[in-house]
Amino acid sequence: MDKNVAVYLCRGCDIGAALDMDALKDVATDEYNIETCREHDCLCSDEGRELIRKDIQDGVNTIVVGACSQRFMIDRFTFEDVFTSRVNLREQVVWSHEPNDEDTDAMAQDYLRMGIVKGQKASLPVPLEEEVDRTVLVVGGGITGVTAALDSARAGYDVILVEREEELGGWMTKWAKGIPHEPPYRDPQPLDMDERIAQVRSNDRITVHTGTTVDEITGQPGQFDVTLKGNGSNGEPLRVGSIVQATGWKPYDPNRLGHLGYGTSADVITNVQMEEMLASGQVTRPSDGKPPRRIAFIQCAGSRDQDHLPYCSGVCCRVTVKQSLMVREMSPDTEAYVLYKDMRSPAQYEEFYKRAQEDPGIFFTKGEITGVTNGDATLKVTADDTLLGEPIELEADMVVLATGMVPRSADGEKIRKYVDAKKVVEKGEEGAQLEAAKETVEELKHLEDAEILNLGYRQGPDLPVLKYDFPDSHFICFPYESRRTGIYPSGCLRLPQDSSNCREDASGAAMKAIQAMVVTARGETVHPRWGDMSYPDIALQRCTQCKRCTEECPFGTLNEDPKGTPLLNPTRCRRCGICMGACPERIISFKDYSPEIVGSMIKAVEIPDEFEEKPRLLGLLCENDAYPALDTAGLKRIQHSAHIRFIPVRCLGSVNIVWISDALSRGYDGILLIGCKSGDDYQCHFIRGSELMETRSHNVQEKLKQLALEEERVRIELLPINEYERLPEIVNEFAEEIDEIGLNPFKGF
Amino acid sequence: MAEALRLKPDREFVDEVIDAGGGDLKKCFQCATCSVACELSHGPSPFPRKEMIWAQWGLKDRLLNDPEVWLCHQCNDCSMRCPRGARPGDVLAALRQKTIEHYSFPSFMGRLVNSARAMPVMLILIPALLLGLAVLGRDAIGEALGLSDPHAAFYAEFFPHWLLIVFFTTLTVLTFLGLITGLVRFWKGMKNADEARGKGTPVQGVVPSVVTAVKDLLTHARFGKCGDQKARKNTHLMAFYGFLALFVVTVWATFDLYLFPVLGIESLYPFDLTHPMKVLANVGGIILVVGTGMAILNRLNAPEDGKHQSTSFDWIFLWLLFLVGVTGFVTEVFRFTVSPETMGTLEYTAYGFYFVHLVLVFGLLVYLPYSKFAHMWYRILAMAYAEHTGRTNGTESVEAVQIQKKAG
Repeated sequence: MDKNVAVYLCRGCDIGAALDMDALKDVATDEYNIETCREHDCLCSDEGRELIRKDIQDGVNTIVVGACSQRFMIDRFTFEDVFTSRVNLREQVVWSHEPNDEDTDAMAQDYLRMGIVKGQKASLPVPLEEEVDRTVLVVGGGITGVTAALDSARAGYDVILVEREEELGGWMTKWAKGIPHEPPYRDPQPLDMDERIAQVRSNDRITVHTGTTVDEITGQPGQFDVTLKGNGSNGEPLRVGSIVQATGWKPYDPNRLGHLGYGTSADVITNVQMEEMLASGQVTRPSDGKPPRRIAFIQCAGSRDQDHLPYCSGVCCRVTVKQSLMVREMSPDTEAYVLYKDMRSPAQYEEFYKRAQEDPGIFFTKGEITGVTNGDATLKVTADDTLLGEPIELEADMVVLATGMVPRSADGEKIRKYVDAKKVVEKGEEGAQLEAAKETVEELKHLEDAEILNLGYRQGPDLPVLKYDFPDSHFICFPYESRRTGIYPSGCLRLPQDSSNCREDASGAAMKAIQAMVVTARGETVHPRWGDMSYPDIALQRCTQCKRCTEECPFGTLNEDPKGTPLLNPTRCRRCGICMGACPERIISFKDYSPEIVGSMIKAVEIPDEFEEKPRLLGLLCENDAYPALDTAGLKRIQHSAHIRFIPVRCLGSVNIVWISDALSRGYDGILLIGCKSGDDYQCHFIRGSELMETRSHNVQEKLKQLALEEERVRIELLPINEYERLPEIVNEFAEEIDEIGLNPFKGF
Repeated sequence: MAEALRLKPDREFVDEVIDAGGGDLKKCFQCATCSVACELSHGPSPFPRKEMIWAQWGLKDRLLNDPEVWLCHQCNDCSMRCPRGARPGDVLAALRQKTIEHYSFPSFMGRLVNSARAMPVMLILIPALLLGLAVLGRDAIGEALGLSDPHAAFYAEFFPHWLLIVFFTTLTVLTFLGLITGLVRFWKGMKNADEARGKGTPVQGVVPSVVTAVKDLLTHARFGKCGDQKARKNTHLMAFYGFLALFVVTVWATFDLYLFPVLGIESLYPFDLTHPMKVLANVGGIILVVGTGMAILNRLNAPEDGKHQSTSFDWIFLWLLFLVGVTGFVTEVFRFTVSPETMGTLEYTAYGFYFVHLVLVFGLLVYLPYSKFAHMWYRILAMAYAEHTGRTNGTESVEAVQIQKKAG
C-alpha cells in the first residue's frame, strides 16, 4: 500500500506558545514534501479528530501527530487501518525546555523529522491468524491444580488435569486439619479437599488422568501438543491452548539437618511426620511408642539459613501453631515449646498465633538453636539469643523440626546444559571441552530424569527458574507470568504459600491461561506489550546460523533446525525485540520496529556542523520505565539538555549495535542508553534485556577503540521508574561530560 | 557463654498468676513497648518486659524474688500501649500478690486471707468471734489478770482499755512476727536469686538504701513519675498519711494511759477535742476517709478504658481502710453526743458500731502480712534492695551505666 502521510501539530498544552510553529510546519512541507500538514489548538478534541478523519477519508493512511507523549491520548489518535506515528512535543520538548529558544525549536523539528521518517518506514502490524485451541492443561492435582481446573472449567473452558499419583488431592488429603482461613481464624479447620475432588470428578469439562505424567509437549500457545505417559496415555498427542503447572512442593530434606538432631534420635521428627501422626490420631514417640509430654517445635529448621534454604516458606509458623494446638487438644497434659527465629503470622493469621499464645500449655520464645542432644531418656534442646535474655536449656520428649518447602520445579536451562554436556562426553572427542563437559555432567547429574513438562523448546525442557529454583518471571510487576508464554506456574511451585493462597494463585493462573488463549487467537501478545500485534519477521535467506537469537530470546520463542537456523513460534513471542537487537545480520524486524526504521530515525536528525559547537546526543530510552520516567520529569517541568534526541525502544535488549555505530559515524557526539534495572532484584520487563545490553556494550567499547573514540561517548544507565527525578540529571551530566570530551571528530565525514 | 538457664515451665504457677489478675499475660509477644512506655523502667533488661516472658514460662523462682516487680506502681501506661493487650501492669500486680502470698508466715494464712471463699469467715466471723469472747469474758479475765481501767470512759464500759490493749497488742506482736519472718525470707530470696545468676553486686550499703526507700515512701516521688496518675498518687498519699497519723495517736494514747502514770506524767486521757493528739487524730481520720473514699470512687467510676482494673485483693484492703475510718468517726460522734446518763438503745447502738469498728481493725491489722496491706512493707524492702543493688532509676545498674558510657 502506498504511503500517504499527513502531519498534524497540536498547539495546545503550551506547545503553540513555546515553539515556532511555522518553522516546524516547514520541516514537514519543505523537507519532506508532505502535502497535508495541519495545526489545531486542541488536536485531541472531537474537532481535532474530525480534522484528521476527513483527511483519512480523502486517502491519508499514515498520520504523524506532533502533540503529547505517545503514552497519552492513545485512543484519540487511533484510527482504523491508519498507522499513527507520535511525536512527543509536550513532555519531552516544551515542558522540559526553555520556550521560544532556538535549541528547543531545533529539538522539536528533529523529533518531527524522526516521526515523519517513522511514519514513512513503518507499517501497521498484520495480526497472525493461527488456529487456537481453547483447552487448558493442568499439570498437578493438588489444591492448586484442582482449583485451577475447576476455575477454568467454570469459566467455560475444557481442562485436562494430569496427576502423577493415583489419587487427586496431593498433600491436602494427607492431613487431618488445616490452618483456619475463615473468621475468627482461631482454630484448626477441617479440610474440604474431598469435596473439591468430587467437584472435579463430576465436572464434564474436566478430564482427569491420574497416575499420569507428561511425556512431551511441543508447539506454542494455542497449539501445544501434549503426549502423556502412564495411565492416561493412549499414545496420541492431545492439543491444548495453554498450560498451568501446579506441581507443588516437597519438604526440605531433613537428612541435612543433623545439627538440629535429625538422625541422632528417632524422636527428632519433621513437621511432615508430625502431620502424619496427627492424621493417624496418635502422637507417640518413635523411640518407645509412648505419648510425649513435652514437645519442642524448632522453627526455621533449615530455612532462612544460607547453608540450607535461604528463604522463608511462610507457612511453617502457622503449621506449628496448628500442630501444637492439635496436640494439646488430643492430650491436654502435653506441653508444647516453640522456639522460633521470628514468628510469622501475617494478616488475620495473627489471631491464630494469638490463640496458641493464650494456651497456657504452649510456650514461645525466640532463639537460635545451639544444639539438640540426647539426654537421659529425653532430648535436650539448647538455644541462645532468646527472649529470656540468656541461653536456655529445655528438656523435651520429642522435637519437631519445622522444615520448609522446596518447589517441585525442574530447571529447564540447566537440564539443557546437562544434556548438551552429556552429548559432548558421549562423543568423547579429546580436548578442553571434554573436561569441562565432564565437570558439568558431574555437577548436574542430579538433573537426570528431572524433567516435568518435557517441553520441545530449544532452551530446555522445563520452565527456566530464577532465585531459589522458583520458576517465576517478573516477580515485582507481573507475578503470574513465567518466561514461557502460555505456561503459568502456580501454587507452591511459584512461591511457598498456604492452601488459601494457593487457591487464589490457582485462580490467577487459570485466568492467565485463558487470557493467553484469547489474546493469542486475536493475534496479540500477553504481558507486558498488551495488544501488540507485531511479530518478528526473519529474512532467513540471509541467516548465518549464529544462534544468537535462539539463545538470547528470554521466552524461548525460537527453536532451531539441526543446522541452527531459527524456527519461529510466533505465539510464544512477547515482542520485546531482543532477537532483533541480537542479530548481527539485522534480518529480524517487526512491521513497526526494525533496524531500518530506527536507523532512519537516527539519520533524520540534523547534526550541527563542527563550527556551531553544539553537540548532538542520541538517547535510546526503554519504553517500559525510562520513557515514562522522562515524561514524568517533564510533567514536573524538570529541564534537561536540549542537545539530546530520544528514541523510545521496546527494551534495551532490542538495541542493535548497528544503531550505535551508525550514529557515531553520522557525527553524534554521545549516546545514552537508559533501561530498566537488571540483576536478581531485577525490574527489566523482559527479564534479560538490560543485562544483554550491558554484555553487548563490551563490543561497543571495542568498536569505540577501533574508531579511536573515547569510551565515555556511549553510556548505559539503568533506572527504576520511581527515580524519574534523576533522569534529567543523568542527561545533563552526560551532556556536560561530552562537552568536556569535545565534539565527535567524525562530524561532517 | 553464661551457663544456660534450665527452663522448667511451671504451668501451675502460670495459672495462679492468671487467676490473680494477670489473665492476659500469655498474649505478650515481647515487643518491649511496655518498658519503653514506663517512666520508671530503665537499663538494659528493663521491667516489665522480662517479667512478662518469665511469667509466660512460669519461672516462679525468678518472679517471686524479683525486686523490680515492686518498682512498678501500676499506672498501667504499659497496659494501655501494649499492642497485644497483655496488660503487663496487671501482671506485675498479680505477681506482687503472689509474692506476698508466697512469703506469708504461716503460709496457710496467705492462702486463706486472699481466697475469695474464705474471706467472709476470715474477715468477719473470726474477728467477731474472738472479740465477742473477749467482751463476754472481760470481767473474769480482768479479775484474773488484776487489770482495770485507770479512767472510766464511755466505751471502756463495753470494751475496757486494758482488754483492748492486751488483745490487740498480743495479736499485733504475732502479726509482726509473721510479717518480719516473711520479709526476711523475701530479702534472702532476692539475694539468693541474684547470686545464682551472678548478679546483684551491691552498689550501696543496706542502711542508706533503706533510708532512700523510706524517703521515697514519704514523698511518693517515684509514684509521682508514674504516667498521668496524679489522682492516684494523691489519694494514696492521703490514705498513707491519714493512717500514719491514726497509728501515732493510738500509740500515744496507749502511752498516755499506761506509760505516763509510771513516768509520773499527768495522763490527759480521754482527750478533749482541742488536745493536739485529738486534733491530729481527727485530721488524720478525715484525710484517711477522704483519701480512701476518693480512691474507691475513682476505681468505681474508672472509665472502661482498660487503664484501671481492680482485683478483690485491691478492693478488700481499700474498703477495710475506708470503713475503719468511717466507723471510727461514728463511734467518736457517739462518744461526744451520747452522755453516759442517757443510757438506753442509743448506747447499745454506739457499742454496736464500736464493735464493728474493732472487727474491721482486726481485719486490717491482724491480716496485715497477708493482705494488700503488706505491699507497703514488701515494697519498701524491694525498693531498698533495688537501691542496694543499683536497680532503681536514680542509680541504674552498673551494667546499664557502662552501656550508656559506651554509647557515648
